[in-house]
Amino acid sequence: MAEKKGLLKRLAEGQIWTSIFRGGGVPQSRRQRMMVVLNSVFLHLHPVRLPKHAVKLKFTWCMGGLSFFLFLIETISGILLMFYYRPTIEYAYPDIIDLAEQVPFGIMREVHRWGAHAMVITVWLHMFRVFMTGSYKPPREFNWSIGVILLLLTLLLSFTGYLLPWDQLAIWAITVGSNMARATPFLGHEGPGAALLAIGDINFVTVASDVRFALIGGRFLGEATLLRFYVLHCIGLPFIIMIFMSVHFWRIRKDGGISTPV
Amino acid sequence: MPDANKKKTATIKPVSPPPAALSQADDNTQVTRRSFFSWLSLGWLAFVAATGGFFTMMLRFFFPNVLFEPVQTFRAGYPEDYEAGEVDLRWKAKYATWIIRNDEGIYALSTTCTHLGCTPNWLVAEQKFKCPCHGSGFRKTGINFEGPAPRPLERFRIVLADDGQIVIDKTKKYQQEKGQWGDPEAFLKV
Amino acid sequence: MEGFKHLIDSLTKPTILVTFTFIIFFFLFPPSDWFDKWHRRLRFNALWGKKALLIINVLLVAFFIFGLGDPDFRAIVLKPDNVPISGLIFLVFFFTWLSMNQAYKNDELVEAGKPVDEHYDAPNDKVLVWPDLVYVEFICLILFSAFMMVWSIGLAAPLEEPANPSESPNPSKAPWYFLGLQEMLVYFDPWMAGVVLPSLIIVGLMAIPYMDNNPEGSGYYSYKDRKLSIAMFMFGWLVLWVLLIVIGTFLRGPNWNFFGPFEYWDSHKLEALTNVNLSEFIYVKLFNTGLPGNILLREIWGLLIILGYFMILPPLLAKTWLKDMYLKMGVARYSVFIVLIITALTLPIKMYLRWMFNLKYIIAIPEYFFNF
Ligand code: HEM
Ligand code: FES
Repeated sequence: MAEKKGLLKRLAEGQIWTSIFRGGGVPQSRRQRMMVVLNSVFLHLHPVRLPKHAVKLKFTWCMGGLSFFLFLIETISGILLMFYYRPTIEYAYPDIIDLAEQVPFGIMREVHRWGAHAMVITVWLHMFRVFMTGSYKPPREFNWSIGVILLLLTLLLSFTGYLLPWDQLAIWAITVGSNMARATPFLGHEGPGAALLAIGDINFVTVASDVRFALIGGRFLGEATLLRFYVLHCIGLPFIIMIFMSVHFWRIRKDGGISTPV
Repeated sequence: MPDANKKKTATIKPVSPPPAALSQADDNTQVTRRSFFSWLSLGWLAFVAATGGFFTMMLRFFFPNVLFEPVQTFRAGYPEDYEAGEVDLRWKAKYATWIIRNDEGIYALSTTCTHLGCTPNWLVAEQKFKCPCHGSGFRKTGINFEGPAPRPLERFRIVLADDGQIVIDKTKKYQQEKGQWGDPEAFLKV
Repeated sequence: MEGFKHLIDSLTKPTILVTFTFIIFFFLFPPSDWFDKWHRRLRFNALWGKKALLIINVLLVAFFIFGLGDPDFRAIVLKPDNVPISGLIFLVFFFTWLSMNQAYKNDELVEAGKPVDEHYDAPNDKVLVWPDLVYVEFICLILFSAFMMVWSIGLAAPLEEPANPSESPNPSKAPWYFLGLQEMLVYFDPWMAGVVLPSLIIVGLMAIPYMDNNPEGSGYYSYKDRKLSIAMFMFGWLVLWVLLIVIGTFLRGPNWNFFGPFEYWDSHKLEALTNVNLSEFIYVKLFNTGLPGNILLREIWGLLIILGYFMILPPLLAKTWLKDMYLKMGVARYSVFIVLIITALTLPIKMYLRWMFNLKYIIAIPEYFFNF
């Protein structure tokens, strides 16, 4: 070939590039562009082609995508925070202050906190858009329900998260929150019906055996409470939300991609 | 094969001759439909029991045998330390207790709002406890009268020790709606 | 200036604000043809045009700028944990507008016999994910990251005083996104407001696709064909959720009393709020006897009312007012739907009863932790 190749092109056709990006080369033909998506584990969350309105911002508002992106931001910034934060009543609060004052680029906590607020908003708006385009209608009913669980998990992640600094907001939120658990019908010791679960004088649902106890690890708030919520926030809930997100994304593809008018 | 499915008899006959080892065993143990189902249900039962046991274990895991809890009993000085008609705040921070003396005696009121557990403030001018979380109000006696709190504040057991000091035992609670405020140890006559 | 603030303060009294919202709401989002007629006659449909977007945004911005001049309003808006809620007000309005605008456009297209905007002629109308979608995502991501960076550098994350188990802050507010729940806690006992109602919200949301068996309007913005379902969803989302959050953020002050947005947060503000239960209304005020000792006798009126509300109202509605809906939905769908709706309606009902009569419980059996 007489044509002179540019640096980029030569790079893209070299051995290293072709070994990483299967097929290699700069994707230009229609076939190559399709292969890009098919060949990448990340991109193949997407279909290869999709209806033209689905790429328009004014249809999806990109809200689902932003929710997912925020989840990634939260994961990364959260892992960074874990390098400094210790979940004990003695250290939690000072560690939070140190995160801003003693750590270079001490904005990770800001990123994490504001990211959480933003994620709540984007998930709400995503749900709103899905409702307004009627995208929950068959065959997407189940995925909508999965979505509602994602919304719940997002809120639970926020709740468990803002307890961790162990400041005034934290303990009064957990006080109020755990006392709601105390009022759960049958399962909480001040819930309606709990008194019925008794044989003679022996109550089965007491302050030391109800859901509130399981949640806070004792009859009073304390070290156990902070640790439990820390584990839930950093491991338990993220693990669960990732499972549901995988199902959510899988079902978007299986239900025929972004909804279209029939 | 098709009518093998429809057959009502209970024996299952292998169509092709079974491998030597298997056929030996089969000679005297024929699997009847009935025994097959009872084995099946036994299997399921075992499975359910195992899963159930496993989840019970997991559940029980959240209820430790030993708890590290704050001290629940304290000495609160002598009755003379308290002025009649006053709500005393000195044990609020440390032991979450208000001590109140009226004309007849002394009672110890829990500072935990019976709604969802915030700490109400004593407002002297209004002569009431007012909770900042959802606005419950309690009278000096502990009776709830406004906001969402479903019942009056709890009182703690209050007695005199041998040396004449007041002892407050927070493990024993007296609830007005259960008619327990009349109990002798819910109120210290002085 | 002061006059305007007073006006706002008195207009945002919860009774006035909520009543006004209730009255106007279904003219903004008409659930039926009759409402739609008036919606258009009152020219409310202009709200979803470009001009209205501009005007309302300008007004909102002006209101916030004006408000920032007031120390009491400023204290609320600039509290770090509240910053996102000001953003939320703009975002909720913008996206409501955006979806309604597109819905009305599509409705007009359909009326004119033309295909909707999202009209899709498979497989000709397909585009490639690489590059068409990937670029859009990439740009979104970059812009959004930049925005998050600016936000995080510009505004320190909230951190309150160290935990102090003996002193609840006054008022103690949850983060803004839970203030709707916190507001519910004022009117219902914790087992309802903290456990049953939130669970029903989740279950109800999950049940939406199974209850709404109207096949129209799937995959494109539209209003006309889905009037009722959109109007109801909007009511739950904008009124029972967003409005409660706004009330919780801007109108609740010390001791959890109501304050106007420009009113000084006086922690000694006195309000007569002494609760009365239904049984007391009936036996003490009406019959002038004392409360009967027998629990069942005492609470029989409340029990009857609640039973009637949940057992008699649904079949009654199915026979009369909601007959068409009942026939269209079938027994199972209708039952789930109506129970969810009338449960949701207990919230505004109890709010009004509390505000107007200080009525606390319809059924009060504290002996068994059963209060409603
Ligand atoms: C953590 C939260 C969530 C994430 C990360 C997420 C992510 C996504 C993404 C990336 C899409 C592709 C289209 C788009 O961006 O709009 C999508 C679609 C969808 N989402 Fe979600 N979502 C979340 C929560 C929800 C919630 C709360 C609901 C509803 C209650 C929901 C229901 C749906 C449905 C039905 C679709 C298909 C829409 C269509 O086909 O047009 N999702 N989601
Ligand atoms: S915790 Fe006291 S009123 Fe809710």
